[in-house]
Amino acid sequence: MNQADVSKLVSKLRINVLPKHRNLNNPKGPEGRIDKLRKTVTGLIKFERIELNYNRADEARQYAERLISEAIRHGDCHKPTMDTANFWLLEKELIHKLFKVLVPRYEATNLSYTRLISAPQQQYGRHTDKAVLELRGNPFPDLMNYKTNNKLLIQNVLLDAAKQDYKQSKINEIANNIGKKGNSSLDKSSKNIEVPEKPTES
Amino acid sequence: MALAIRRSTSEVFGAAKWFIRRDCRALSTLPEKAVEVPVEKKRDRPVVSRIRANARNPNLALRHVYPEFLPDPNPKWRNSLREKLERTDMLNRRKQIDIPEFYVGSILAVTVADPHAQGKTNRFVGICIERKGAGLRAEFTLRNVVDHQGVEVRYDLYDPTVHSIQVLRLEKRLDDKLLYLRDALPEYSTFPFDMDPEILPDGTPVPVNPVQVKLKPRPWLERWERQELQGVSNIEEHLKEKDRVRRELRKEPWEKYDLMKQYRKTIPIEDQNDIWAEVNHQLKQLQLTRKKVSRKRTFGVPKTQLG
Amino acid sequence: MRRQILCLSTKITHNSCTKALPLTRFLSTQEAIDRRYHLFTLEKKRQLDKVGRVEKIEVQYKGVPNDCTLVMNKGISTPYDCARHLSEWHMDTSALALLDGTVYWDMHRPLTENCTLELQNFRVPEPQQVNRAFWRTCSFMLGACATVAFKDTVPVKLHSFPGPDIRSGSFIYDVQLPTLDDWKPSQQELITLGAEYVKLVRQNEPLERLEVSEELALEMFVENEHKTKQIPSIARNHGKVTLYKVGKHVDISKGPMISTTKQIGRVAVVSVHNLNGSNSEVEHLYRFQGVALPTGVIINHFAFSILTDRAKKLNTVRSPVPKTLEHEDSESIAMKA
Repeated sequence: MNQADVSKLVSKLRINVLPKHRNLNNPKGPEGRIDKLRKTVTGLIKFERIELNYNRADEARQYAERLISEAIRHGDCHKPTMDTANFWLLEKELIHKLFKVLVPRYEATNLSYTRLISAPQQQYGRHTDKAVLELRGNPFPDLMNYKTNNKLLIQNVLLDAAKQDYKQSKINEIANNIGKKGNSSLDKSSKNIEVPEKPTES
Repeated sequence: MALAIRRSTSEVFGAAKWFIRRDCRALSTLPEKAVEVPVEKKRDRPVVSRIRANARNPNLALRHVYPEFLPDPNPKWRNSLREKLERTDMLNRRKQIDIPEFYVGSILAVTVADPHAQGKTNRFVGICIERKGAGLRAEFTLRNVVDHQGVEVRYDLYDPTVHSIQVLRLEKRLDDKLLYLRDALPEYSTFPFDMDPEILPDGTPVPVNPVQVKLKPRPWLERWERQELQGVSNIEEHLKEKDRVRRELRKEPWEKYDLMKQYRKTIPIEDQNDIWAEVNHQLKQLQLTRKKVSRKRTFGVPKTQLG
Repeated sequence: MRRQILCLSTKITHNSCTKALPLTRFLSTQEAIDRRYHLFTLEKKRQLDKVGRVEKIEVQYKGVPNDCTLVMNKGISTPYDCARHLSEWHMDTSALALLDGTVYWDMHRPLTENCTLELQNFRVPEPQQVNRAFWRTCSFMLGACATVAFKDTVPVKLHSFPGPDIRSGSFIYDVQLPTLDDWKPSQQELITLGAEYVKLVRQNEPLERLEVSEELALEMFVENEHKTKQIPSIARNHGKVTLYKVGKHVDISKGPMISTTKQIGRVAVVSVHNLNGSNSEVEHLYRFQGVALPTGVIINHFAFSILTDRAKKLNTVRSPVPKTLEHEDSESIAMKA
């Protein structure tokens, strides 16, 4: 049992963090691992979308998220944060980008700063899992193009029409009941039936 | 935050003080400082970042005083229900006995029930060299030298057999753990059992004792030279060239930039805020009642301080 | 039979087929389909040969991955060929082409002049036209399905299908089954119809478009008295009849249609209604109804059951044919798909 370290405060990441880090295979050990990740994080900040092996992408993603959240929390006038940014970003002009471009971009967001998407694999032969790692709000076209909330999509049109049809049939039923009996108690019972189906967006 | 500000009753009246000060300033003929204007302007700017707003929670300072209220950061052992139950248990125990604020480096006197001792209690005085564990399993280790023999006793903080925990001297040392006292000269961990408690005035920050201990010659229990200790003065005297070379080889300068390693060791701000919001009120209440009791006691027996 | 076709084809190549041969009596459904297919391919070949010397046009492509200019063959290259230059994704998902931002163009219809090209799939922000094309194609395929599904002893005469109305909940094909009196399909038969439909869809045939003259159209649909009645009113405006072909099935439709049948995903033929009460002119007219979704649209089975339940009701969209014969207004010709 350990006590939580109280000397440093960190902001919570909005991504899943594994209980243990991955040892990215490297002859130089932990130092080599950090070097690899530095390169990846630098590339991510620079290009905003990169494709690489899944394991490395997931590790680098965590570091990139931490770096951005530190930058947001402390700003560019905080010496240790500046040091950290200097360590992680191998190309020094990216430090400027981190504080002046990415921090304003993500300051008000509620989501994670990066996205990790599994990339297609080759069908035959040996393969390693590939992934696409990208910063949110990048200028490239969206990879996940599943915008299903468009009302004009065919499935939504069909479901909407079905809903209207159902409502209309209910209204007709009520109208018939009124015509038949004129009894208020029956009306109430039929009004209580709510429309159960909503157009679900697949 | 290197130093924790001592929490006291004065804080409760902090708001009142603030009003009084402002009123005085308004009544006085002196103009307000021109410097303060831009400060207020900055405050007017809307805070967009939730991260920064969260980090500004004043409750977060409690983590230094009550570190055991934070759960173990290892996700293997996290269980929100168990943690919550443990916190209520801890608060209940704190209602029974006074568990004071103390740090590694403070000198404590602990009285525990001991069926074999005279008077059924056993009192031990020593310097706290380590604090460990989270929740009900929180523990601390006291070290003293009794009859030229180093003695260490490990106590559970919420052990029901503990009768009282008294802080004789509240201070911090330069390091987080003082395990190197085991290899230091015995005078650094010798404390008399009849020490008087030293009372700090309210509101003063916890003092840091900058004393640097001298280690005995090797062999040591650990390789202290590799741990970058601040509180040891003569470590270089005992090293051979071989040790220095190996120390250089073993250095991990990248470790302080390993953001995820730090992250996995701590509880994030957002989670801490929830925990402190849950226990803050009761902890404050406990502190207030303790203060009242102790004030009564000091007024009741003024002569003991003289003698 | 073969000799007749040969004779006909020679006639077509001379472009002098005016007199319809009295084939009606001895053509079975299958033979009629083969004959129509043969005539369609011949006419298509003739039109391609007519292009003559290849001229180049510049097509400005707009969209992902980046805007570019493609140099294509005039009268030969189709938007589908442009997509083949781009990527497999473009080929598979594009359902319609949008020329110059205004004209919706079939994927397999040759381009005729310089234009800008946008490829539209089912996920574009404004998919109304794509949806209409999809619904129209589904109706068209339902006709193909109905011709294939019945035994040889049951003659099937396709009547017509109304314009796509997605909000009505189902796509329709009106079919005359002269020998069946008051036929009500069982659940098993409906499932079989659906399976036939899926079989057709799986063949992944492109939908080819061809504009033919009125005479040739009459020649092709000679055994189908409904179509022969409709053709003059359709051809009234331009003197041309637009035909679509998928596999061996040829039918009249205004278009445009989607690229291939593979783009039809989940599909169900849900009901067949007898229309004898409402439509007195044609005996034994049945209305086939179905519901379908494009490939890649994943929908909850419960939501799909809502759609199928709704599609089971008789779709009361008016069949446009009697109207066009009487009033000849352009609206209903436009409706006539």
